[in-house]
Order: sequence, then C-alpha cells, then structure tokens
Amino acid sequence: MFPRTPTVLIVAALCFCIAFTSFGPVALAQKKTAPVEATPPPLREEFKFGEVDLEVLEQANLVDQRFERDGLVLVDEAANAYLRRVGQSLIPPGLELERVSWKFRALRDPQPNAFALPNGSIYVTTGLMTLIDNESQLAAIIAHELTHVMRRHTYMHNRSTRKKFLTMNVMAAVGTYAPGGIVGAVITVVTTVAPFIMVATIYGYSRDLEREADLKGIDMMISAEYSPEEMVNVLKLLDKDFEGENIRLFYNDHPSLDERIKYLTSYLGGRADKVTHQMELNRERAAYFRNVESLMRHNLQLALNAGRARSAVYLAQRLVDFHEDSENLFWLAESYRTLGPRASQLTEKELTNSAKKDAAKKSLKRTTEEEERDLLATPAGKENWERHKQKAEELYQRALSAENPAPVVHRGLGMLYEKVERRSDAVAEYEKYLELSPSASDRQRIQRRIEVLKEKLK
Amino acid sequence: MTTRSTVLKTQTIMFALAVLLAVSGAHQVRAQFIHPKIKSKETTIRRVVVLPAKVNVVRDSMKGPEGMAAESDELSLRIEKMVAEVLAKKKNVATLPAAAGSAEGDAEQKYNVADFQTKFDELLPKIMKKRSDVKKGRFSMTDEVLNLNLDKGADAIVFIRGAGQKLTGGKTAFRVFVGGMPAFLQLQIGIVDARSGEVLVYTDPMLVGDPTTAVDRLRKALEKGFKKLPEVKG
Repeated sequence: MFPRTPTVLIVAALCFCIAFTSFGPVALAQKKTAPVEATPPPLREEFKFGEVDLEVLEQANLVDQRFERDGLVLVDEAANAYLRRVGQSLIPPGLELERVSWKFRALRDPQPNAFALPNGSIYVTTGLMTLIDNESQLAAIIAHELTHVMRRHTYMHNRSTRKKFLTMNVMAAVGTYAPGGIVGAVITVVTTVAPFIMVATIYGYSRDLEREADLKGIDMMISAEYSPEEMVNVLKLLDKDFEGENIRLFYNDHPSLDERIKYLTSYLGGRADKVTHQMELNRERAAYFRNVESLMRHNLQLALNAGRARSAVYLAQRLVDFHEDSENLFWLAESYRTLGPRASQLTEKELTNSAKKDAAKKSLKRTTEEEERDLLATPAGKENWERHKQKAEELYQRALSAENPAPVVHRGLGMLYEKVERRSDAVAEYEKYLELSPSASDRQRIQRRIEVLKEKLK
Repeated sequence: MTTRSTVLKTQTIMFALAVLLAVSGAHQVRAQFIHPKIKSKETTIRRVVVLPAKVNVVRDSMKGPEGMAAESDELSLRIEKMVAEVLAKKKNVATLPAAAGSAEGDAEQKYNVADFQTKFDELLPKIMKKRSDVKKGRFSMTDEVLNLNLDKGADAIVFIRGAGQKLTGGKTAFRVFVGGMPAFLQLQIGIVDARSGEVLVYTDPMLVGDPTTAVDRLRKALEKGFKKLPEVKG
C-alpha cells in the first residue's frame, strides 16, 4: 500500500507542505501588498515603562559610555554640532519624551551605517556621512532613526521578541558578521553590553517597524523643509557595494530595497511636488561637503586602515571634485597606493552572493600582504598595480604643486617610492616630511624607515 | 543490493569519522606559538606594554544570554593586571605604563589605541585559522605600531581578548541533564614586536569554571599559557 521507495514519500511530504503552508500557491495568491498609509499613526505617548524596558534603557546608556571610552565617537565638535542641528530641526516642536535625551553623534566607522538607541542617542557613521550627497539625505537617515526612538521601537521589539530570542539568534547574528575595520569594534561593544539592542538596531527591526520609520521619516522631513524624495535617493545610494560585503548594515535588506523604494515612492505621491526654496538649499552638495569635509578626510583614513580601498578611491574622488586642494589630492593618491594590485571595481560575478561568501572565507586565510603578493603574481594584478602606481604618483605630485602643500604628501610619496624600491628617493621624501612636520605623531615610524632604507643603500 | 549496502557501509564509516573529528576538535589541546626570532634569541622580550584587555562575559540563563558589561570591565582589568604579574614573576618581563608620550591631543591618542586594537581584532581570526604559522613568523601588524608612540624601552605590546560565559543556577541544572558548554573563559593573547609589528607570541589559555570568580584557576591558566616564553635572565 505504501510507496516502495522513500524518495516518493519525501516528494509527497514536500507537496503536502507546499500546499498547506504560507509558501503554497494558495497563500501566495491571497498575499496582498499592504496599502500605503495616508498618514502615520499618532505618537505613542501613552507608553509606560516596565522593568524590562528599564533594563534595555540601562544597556543603551552603557553602550553610549563604551563608545566614548573606546574611542569610537568622533571628537569633532563642528561635525557633531552639524549633526545636532540637522537632528534637532527634525524633532517636532514641543515634543517631550520620557527618558529620552537627544544626542547626535558621528561614529568613527568607515562602513555606511546608522542606528538609534532607545535613550535618544543617534549615531551616524563617518562612512555613511561621507557617502551621501546633501543635507536632505542626512536628514532622511536621522528622521528614520528618530522615528525608532519616538515610537519606542526598541522597547516594543524587545517586549514582543524577548521570549523567542534565545542564544542561537544572537550568536548566529554575530557569527555571520565577519568583523572588519572599526565596525567590528562597534558590533563587539553593542553585543557585549546589549545583545538584543545589537540585533534590533544594527540588523533592523521587524518589517512593519522599519516601514513605519520610513514613512514617518518622510513626514518629519517635509515639516523641516527637506526634500522627501531624498529618502528614496539615499536608499539607491546605499545599494552601491564597492567592497563585495557579505552583510550590509543600515537599511539592510529588510524589507527589500526594491519594496522600500516602491512604497516610499507611492507614499510620496503629490507630497514631492511641493518644493520650497529652503528644500532646494538643503539639497546643495557643496554646502553639505563644506560642513563635513574634515570628517570625510578622517573617514578616508579609517577606510584605508580597514582595507576598504575601493570605497576610498570613490569617496576621495568626490572630495577632490568638490575641492581640489593639496590634502584632498593626497587622500586620493593614498587611496590609489593602497588599492595596489586590486581591481578598482568588482565584477558582476564577484558581486554575487556565493562569490562574496567565498571572498569572505578567503580573506580569513590570507593576510593583506599575502593577498597583495598573490595578486602581483597575476598579469591582471601587475597591470592594476602599474596603473594605480602611476595614478598615485601623479596625484602626489599634483598635491605638492597645489597651494599650501600638505607635508604629509612627502610621506605618501616616500612610501610609494619605498614600495617600488626607489630607496634614495624614498629617503629624500621621508626626510622632507620630517623637516616640514617635526612634531608628527608618526615620527618614530618614519625615522625607523629612513634608518632601514639607508642601511639597504650602503 | 550489493551496491546499496556498500554505499550504506561507506556512509556509516564517513559518519563515524566525522563524529571522531568533531569530538577531537572539541578537546583541542591549547598551545602556545612562539616566533622563530624569540626561539633563536634574536629578539628578547624584556619590557612590555599591556594594552587594555577586551574580555566579554555573558550570563547564560534559561531566557537566553544577557550581557554582563560591568563584570566584563572588571574582569578585563583583572586579567590585564594578572598578565603583567605572571610575566613579571615567571618570566622576569617588566610592564611599562601604556600612557603615551605623544605630542598630539588626547583624542588622537585615544583614536590611535582604538585603531590598533581594531587592527589586532582583524588579524586575530587569521591567526586563529592557523595558529602554528606564528612559528613561521607569518603574522604582522606592520611598523604602524610605532605610531602608538609607546615608551622607547618597550620591546613588545600585549593584546588580550577573551570571551566566556557564566551559567545561572537554572541553566547549570539544565546542562547537567541535557549537556552543553559549561561556564568557561577562553583567552587569546598576542604579543607583538613594538618596532616591527611582528606577532612574537600567541597563546590561548582556557579555564573551565565561573570566569568572574575563579581567580586562582585564571592565574594558573595564564602561567601555563606563557610556559614556552623564554625567561629573561639577569
């Protein structure tokens, strides 16, 4: 009576499951896209704090302290004041929330990301601030995060998922993230202090809460005279994947990017037509870049430290296009030098999920020096290095001939010459650097390099 | 039928092998790996700077894991001090203060330390992938370590990482019946040349027990962890 082979049984069981679960054709046919809300629901001012919420609040305060203690918060008063100004302009006037004290800070992290803690701390990474084009886009990001705090999303999410949230979930989430750069440190801090906050704020809330943050964010942007369509533009901008990252953070695929753009565009409708003069001003790229230029340079150093040379080339080029001075040219040259034998862009094949996973595994097996050595042994790697080397040298020279040349350009040129074994030129450049910058913080390192090179020249 | 039974037999053997491998992996012997420069006495570690330890402990209860931020901070400090003590007592290695002589401001120095800690965190998974390669001198943090502007007398920098778990009473009882990881602390300690950035020593001592209270066991684990590091004479 029973089928003779187990295969038939398995197929039958699978058919049964498909027919009666949410993945089945019946369920799919019934699944409709939720209508876009005309106006978001009112603020949940009736929120009552329970013991569980107070625990989360305490953890959030600890995360703040840890970020500061561990040197992850950018100490750039101008940049933080700018963030504060944009953030405060979005908060509805007269709004007072229990146990919320607004803080807007830049986090020293080259990976584009932003998150809010339930105590009102909003963090935008230097990586994200460097990637976006204008103040309206920054406002879009902050408005989204503000909504998470104003609607008490962290507490609600904690209450609803607390019981389901077991070891496996946290560990799996942390485990899938391969740390790289400062972002690894950020995740470590949040995971240690508050595993739950880490998952919710960095990996995203539930689909509905994210959607609410997007839509309410649009309303806040309009009220503060920021062009609401910049919310959609930010999403498109974040779709760029320069480094082939296995896991993307802010606006992670949750809901999917396409879905988000779709409902946001639908919600915008006629709202995007009313453009005021202030909205136009807030979309000016140059004005935005002027406010964050020094932050952008700081981020370039972080990106290069974290081996994100492809992103660095793209971001430094934008900076040079905005303001071609000696320092910005230096950063572009540094980016090309660090790019070395790597291709400046990843191919479509390299951007597939399986290729990204393979690359992540491979990167664990090789050090940066080994990766460069292996690439240099290939014709493509050699060709890339030749091209990037020339480009870097040309940019260093341009930086030196610019007005008020930065002493650090000599250091960069020295490092390039050292790499291509032009030892006496390298020594000359290093010496020039130390002469122009006698109290440089890397003096010890450069002096040692000079000594080693002189020894080799004998 | 013959083919089927052969396949079954092969599968059983493969499964048994996989189980054997998994079991042997779980009881891996913790070891220390020393750079050839140390073994050949080309480099001697006399004075070190211990960077702030980053040790994270979680409390595992029936509800799931909970962060123990305050306890982790306290434990990090204790381990930092204990490493310095063990190095001094057993190996005659002095510890210099980490305070830098940098002319730059506080923020810059804070960034510097933070960035080097991150650099070590990036290198650590690669070391752990093939720890024995420390013996080949494969890993380095490059001469960028000089940017830390440490005391000029420092020969090496000590990086300490750790992760552990403490079990609640309920969870301990649960583990007795169901099995699973006991309370433990796993450390990863790297000693890096203060001039060239080469990883000179890597050791990963482990202790089984409550990491927040097992002080003596922790000291013993550290002493064992540095067993192969040559003692400084004189």
